[in-house]
Amino acid sequence: MSLSPEEWQALRLSLDVATRSVALSLLPAIGVAWLLARGRFAGRMVLDALVHLPLVVPPVVVGWALLMLFGVQGPIGARLEAWFGVRLVFTTGGAALATAVMSFPLIVRAARLGFEQIDQGLEQAARTLGAGPLDRFFTITLPLAAPGILAGAVTAFAAGLGEFGAVITFASNIPGETQTLPLAIYSAIQTPGGEAMAARLAGLSFMLAISGLLLAELIARRLHLLLGRS
Amino acid sequence: MLLRRALPGLAGGLFAAPALAQSASPTVFAAASLTDALRALGAEWATRGNAPPRFSFAASSTLARQIEQGAPADIFASADEPWMDHLATRGLIVPQTRVSPVGNALVLVGPAGAAPVVLERGTDLAALLGPRGRLATGDPAHVPVGRYAQAALEWMGQWQAIAPRLARADNVRAALLLVERGEAPLGIVYATDALAAPRLSVLGIFPPASHPAITYPFALTRRAEGNAGARALLGFLTGAEAAPIWRRHGFALAG
Amino acid sequence: MLEVSLTHRYGRAGFTLEAAFHAPAGQVTALFGPSGCGKSSILAAIAGLLRPDAGRVALDGVTLLDTSRRLHVPPEARRCGLVFQEARLFPHLSVETNLRYGLRRAPRDAAGPGFDEVVVLLGLAPFLARRPAGLSGGERQRVALGRALLSRPRLLLLDEPLAALDLARRAEVLPFLARLRDAARVPMLYVTHALDEVDALADRLVLLEAGRVLAEGEAEALAARTDLPLAARRDAGVLIGCTVDGHDSARGLTRLDFAGGHFLVPLRDAPRGEQRRIRLRARDVAVATTAPQGLTMQNILPATLREIGPTGTPQEVFLRLAIGPTILLARVTRDSVERLALQPGQEVFALVKSVAFDPAGSRL
Repeated sequence: MSLSPEEWQALRLSLDVATRSVALSLLPAIGVAWLLARGRFAGRMVLDALVHLPLVVPPVVVGWALLMLFGVQGPIGARLEAWFGVRLVFTTGGAALATAVMSFPLIVRAARLGFEQIDQGLEQAARTLGAGPLDRFFTITLPLAAPGILAGAVTAFAAGLGEFGAVITFASNIPGETQTLPLAIYSAIQTPGGEAMAARLAGLSFMLAISGLLLAELIARRLHLLLGRS
Repeated sequence: MLLRRALPGLAGGLFAAPALAQSASPTVFAAASLTDALRALGAEWATRGNAPPRFSFAASSTLARQIEQGAPADIFASADEPWMDHLATRGLIVPQTRVSPVGNALVLVGPAGAAPVVLERGTDLAALLGPRGRLATGDPAHVPVGRYAQAALEWMGQWQAIAPRLARADNVRAALLLVERGEAPLGIVYATDALAAPRLSVLGIFPPASHPAITYPFALTRRAEGNAGARALLGFLTGAEAAPIWRRHGFALAG
Repeated sequence: MLEVSLTHRYGRAGFTLEAAFHAPAGQVTALFGPSGCGKSSILAAIAGLLRPDAGRVALDGVTLLDTSRRLHVPPEARRCGLVFQEARLFPHLSVETNLRYGLRRAPRDAAGPGFDEVVVLLGLAPFLARRPAGLSGGERQRVALGRALLSRPRLLLLDEPLAALDLARRAEVLPFLARLRDAARVPMLYVTHALDEVDALADRLVLLEAGRVLAEGEAEALAARTDLPLAARRDAGVLIGCTVDGHDSARGLTRLDFAGGHFLVPLRDAPRGEQRRIRLRARDVAVATTAPQGLTMQNILPATLREIGPTGTPQEVFLRLAIGPTILLARVTRDSVERLALQPGQEVFALVKSVAFDPAGSRL
């Protein structure tokens, strides 16, 4: 299947945006997942609900909220522009941010499960051997939660390839900057005579998604073996 | 006692009413730029004792495709002739009912208080955008306002320079939002939309010669051919009684 | 020296733990009692993993816990090595990395055995590169012992380390525990409900029941008491320290010397001069008022009857017999005592079958 330059561009942009979005949300997601798994504080349920908002709220609403916050007139966006000269709307970075917000709950869920199924007796043993909290987190907790975290990241990547509503509302539909595969498909559908292109791109999206999910499964299994579990 | 006798009537009324409303409440698919005017006209229609129309506002391209796929629209109002032609060639409208009662102008908008721009051949719009700025308008590939904008920019000799720097919105309202939020320094929208955006200023009006005439064709869809209520509404929307409301919203009247 | 004094109330179980005892350095102190009497909780509190309602724990004069002063040293700073029932080896690390985990985090100036020394001691060389998942239960416990020892602790806590193993594995690991005791020069607190582990390892005994300390002292001394639940067991009996004096291969016998006399037992594989501790069950000791003739029993020892005491059963009594400084207990029927008109102070003979001794015994 041969693709036109615009189609290649959409594919490359999709991979770029999806990768950036996972890179952006990975560390915060791990932190939040750990808090939800182990923390005992008032408002834990509220945090949990907030984290899941992007899953249940219409993506366009998420995109609009991002526009209000990260647009040049928004509280965060104004400072980004004033201090760093950074603008997010119309840019790949903005598309990555929108995608990151939408797939954030996916990583948090998987990472949280990863943390919860760790035998806390192992962490106790590490304590008696002299390991402080940060030490324990990096030598015991994180490695053992790694399969879950990684599976979450790959799932988020695959989901990020398909993010539409939030991206088009926040970052707009700029070929070469923000026009990922879903947005390119959308534009192709709108344009008279674009059905063939839309079909090609849709097929591509499908294959990418399947590959991503299979990869997640493979990685999880490999890691389980590595960690000495069945 | 009274209740006993009234009950069948009530029940009948309950069940009949929605059915009546169904057939008497026409569905209008209209281009986004007609939103405010049509809502006002719809309210006026309702005060005359008719069932208030149900509206669906979106890009003309989207609506045309929906009607093509069988969406239950009774009246279609497009923002340009080609999309109405698209349905006409497919026999999806009643051709005798097609009429273009109102028109619009194309304007350049920017933030309130920005300096006015004379729009003539050779005006350097690209320079006004600055090094990173984008010009927001509809996607010229399928949104009518975008097509008009492209024509105007080509007339000005600016198309080559501006084309890569467009922010292609799905519809006029989206383009307006981008300019209102300061994300794009300039936008090309309809004059009527600029009226509806108090925080923006009209920086210049594109000469009528720079683009095809902006007219809004209205037509009855094939599925509504026998719908008297829909026909009546169409007559109202495109007739003399609607003229003051159109004018109030900034539309030009044909003829 | 470890000093412990704890009070803790278990909401769900509904019982209170109230324990106070001490454990000297260089010795194994066994916390012995039935399941559920609070032994593991005591260890957890000493290690800092459990915060008791009230209490004080001090090690070599350093206070680790003092609730009255709101002092609680976190577990990672206490340097108490803890060996769990389930080994708790880190599954994602190799055996060697597991072993070095505590070693890497021990203070630079901490004293203790070196890595190679411990590997040899516990026979871990074949496993170093493997993952814990590939080891048997016994092998994993040995790694756990090594890991705890290598963390250079000031105190070793062992929480029923053999409980999760089958008989064969327990026999395999027990000698390693004895080696551990010899190698570690810190106090060892050993929780168990198995008497044979106590016999094999314990110098001191803290007897627990329903959250309370019933008695505390030398293992031999507590074994000779008849007022403790220890004595109510069917296998109750004294612990006697012996030295292997010699073998008579022609007759197939070994002679074990103890303070006050000697025993003849079936030939066993032990070098001369080796010290052993044996348990002599009270039910295996008979008493005669005159020196009997024509008996198969190899051991007929003159003894003084010091005391006649009650057992849990009304028909049976304990006879406390002294052979020199060593005390033996004999469990006989009340009827026999009356028949023979036994009196405290009387000179009698203690009769012990040579086969009554555990073939293995345990090294002191």
